[in-house]
Amino acid sequence: MSESTAPSGVTPGARPVNPLLADEPGARRLLLGNEAIVRGALEAGVNLVACYPGTPSSEVPDTFRRIGGGGRYRLEYSVNEKVAMEVGAGSALAGAMTLVTMKHVGVNVAADPLLTMTYTGLPGGLVLLSADDPGCHASQNEQDNRTYARFAGMPCFEPATAQEAKDMTRDALLLARELEQPVLLRTTTRVNHLRGAVEFGPLGQPAPIVPFERNPRRFVPVPAVARVRHAELVRHLGVAREKAEHSPWNTVRGDGRFGVIASGISRAYLSDALHETGWGGRVKVLDLGMTWPLPEELLTDFLSECDAVLVLEELEPLLENDVRALVQRRGLPVAVSGKGGALTIYGEYSTQSVTQALADLLGETARLPMACDPETALPVRPPNLCPGCSHRALYYAVRKVFGDDAVYSSDIGCYTLGLLPPLRMADFLFCMGSSVSAGSGFATASGKPTLAFIGDSTFFHSGITGLVNAVFNKHDLIVVVLDNGTTAMTGHQPNPGVIQDVLGNACVHLDIEAVVRGCGVADVVKVRPFNVKSTMKALAEMKERSGVRVIIAEEPCVLYARRTLKKPRNQVAYVAEQSPSVADCLEHLACPAFFRDDTGIHVDENLCGGCMVCLQVADTIKARKRSDA
Amino acid sequence: MSNAARIRIYLTGVGGQGTLTATTLLARTALDQGLEVTSGEIHGMAQRGGVVESTILLGGWMSPKIGHGEADLILGFEPLETLRGMTHLAAGGSVLSNTEPLPPVGVSTGREAYPDMARIRAKVEGCAAHSWFLPCRTLGLQAGSVQAGNSVLLGAACATGLLPFGPDALEAAIRTHLAPKLMDMNLRAVELGVRAVTSAS
Repeated sequence: MSESTAPSGVTPGARPVNPLLADEPGARRLLLGNEAIVRGALEAGVNLVACYPGTPSSEVPDTFRRIGGGGRYRLEYSVNEKVAMEVGAGSALAGAMTLVTMKHVGVNVAADPLLTMTYTGLPGGLVLLSADDPGCHASQNEQDNRTYARFAGMPCFEPATAQEAKDMTRDALLLARELEQPVLLRTTTRVNHLRGAVEFGPLGQPAPIVPFERNPRRFVPVPAVARVRHAELVRHLGVAREKAEHSPWNTVRGDGRFGVIASGISRAYLSDALHETGWGGRVKVLDLGMTWPLPEELLTDFLSECDAVLVLEELEPLLENDVRALVQRRGLPVAVSGKGGALTIYGEYSTQSVTQALADLLGETARLPMACDPETALPVRPPNLCPGCSHRALYYAVRKVFGDDAVYSSDIGCYTLGLLPPLRMADFLFCMGSSVSAGSGFATASGKPTLAFIGDSTFFHSGITGLVNAVFNKHDLIVVVLDNGTTAMTGHQPNPGVIQDVLGNACVHLDIEAVVRGCGVADVVKVRPFNVKSTMKALAEMKERSGVRVIIAEEPCVLYARRTLKKPRNQVAYVAEQSPSVADCLEHLACPAFFRDDTGIHVDENLCGGCMVCLQVADTIKARKRSDA
Repeated sequence: MSNAARIRIYLTGVGGQGTLTATTLLARTALDQGLEVTSGEIHGMAQRGGVVESTILLGGWMSPKIGHGEADLILGFEPLETLRGMTHLAAGGSVLSNTEPLPPVGVSTGREAYPDMARIRAKVEGCAAHSWFLPCRTLGLQAGSVQAGNSVLLGAACATGLLPFGPDALEAAIRTHLAPKLMDMNLRAVELGVRAVTSAS
């Protein structure tokens, strides 16, 4: 839905140039935070973008893809974040100004090259966008990737508005090129997915390519080189610290002996809280936008003028601990507070939690708004597999054949939603690609029949390695590759499994079956999940065998088939006659196109995806032509 | 830039309804009127039929988030989600809601019961200073499509006088920002929403 919305409401093609590519300094447009990042990168002159999609980062590469760019930059959907990071590093070594985008957990995958490229430096300039997700809106954890700025040794920018998202992206890329060091642009879901007015700067030309000069004593970090480069990294961070001291993103405002040091989206909550309470005149604020390396002189001056300071930062108390250390080192007589009470290490902050913390600092009572009582026992509305989703069909067949005897190792994608009843097709999950390898370990230790479910994009991301391992170490499990032909969960981005016609000239399709066989798997079967009987037959046969077995369940994502492949399903299902089999179908298939009213169970024609799986489950459900087809 | 009215609008609906598109249209309307706008959305997995919440904050708010008791106006694109979202309403706030349900899967399968409209109305009227209920799906279809029901609700909101601009501003934004083929249908939808509010008062 959001991915199909053109910036500024312009239908692609309706104007000759997308507004994001227009050179109109001073223009003000309403942009999504992620669109603002794209504009900032364009203003800096970005030459290459590499990514792996993941909420809340996905609209950045998807916007680069949608606007085309007219040759200003190259965009690559890499197969995983480590690869994106390495492609980006190579590109920046070759002198291109480079942006690499991913969600927070993706940085764990990319951490290996990241922690060494800060040693070598990258002459073209590289910015890593890490889109963190406090509150776990769409993630398996809420790790704080500001840690990576400290861990890897990267200057870090943290925008809080759409305007800042644009401007800091530009400044981060320019700094990365100036220092020849990777820079972290760290956002959170609220920033990626907010919209605000953005005033454009000049577009300029793509950055010139910095010629590569061979220098193995810098770029080949054998131990003798690495030792020297580590010292160089520390020196670079010293230069970056000087930049932070004078950065226009680090500013002091207000008066009084009470100080607040705020970073990231907490700055927005602070700003609104001060406005709402009217306490703005009693508080001195240090806004940190360039948050690493810490501007220690600026902080010392600020702390020296305060009796007490409050540190506002979501997730880990990184800034707070650094401030405490600085206070101790410099012997400053100031009381520091931060985490505690309403300011938790988990979840998001809010204007109300910041108001509460301000009240504690100032010795005031927070007047929090009155709200009407929450309604209890409302029907829940969890995200669900779509009507016509092939994963539902496959899961239905697996449950019929294996029931509760088997253990289900899940992975990351739409198909994780199969965890819900009645399908209950997820017993455990860690991260991208873990289904195969964690499934292998579980099967070995438990001796239970184990099925690993993995999508096509996730298979290419990091399932192949686990599969090679399973063959090599003679594990005993069934891997089901849920091949719906696209990266469905994050908005239909390309992956190597996508058909050639959709990929166009830029990418090459890879055949999953050939890859699986190439990994050494001999027992491979392809099924069409919408054919329930043959799918169940293939599953039942595999159940009797042992070793590494792979089922490739091939059926396009229903949304992708309709929108991209332009395959309308003109047939819909309808309940010809109420019968126990219809009730049974609703109970065990649980397709959201079904509904119940006073007259019985029916299929909503508007919702029906036309998969016709229900016809194979209930004998009194029939097919007919869609009324508007 | 006018900072005269600081208004927080909380919008809630169901993935696939098009509520984020509607949110963006209303936010653009406000920006075109020279207002300070911050807007936010939370979706992620919600595009698969889950709850979709979005926000529009006018008049100089920096945070895109609306907490409990903070919304001056709630726009509910689905009645159950209106009810669920009521905790966000500020004292003295108002509500506009669609009356036509999209049953969640638990209701479709008969495991859970959808709250009846009388209960939803009672709760809303008990909490809100003003409230309006519209059959958005029906009116949207009358204008040309189910999705146009979202513009019905936006048109109605602009006609209440609670926003710092009227339906004319929304109509202008539709002409500026929507694809030509969608324009007439959405203008008809706005008109239906405006009529529903003005005939009710």
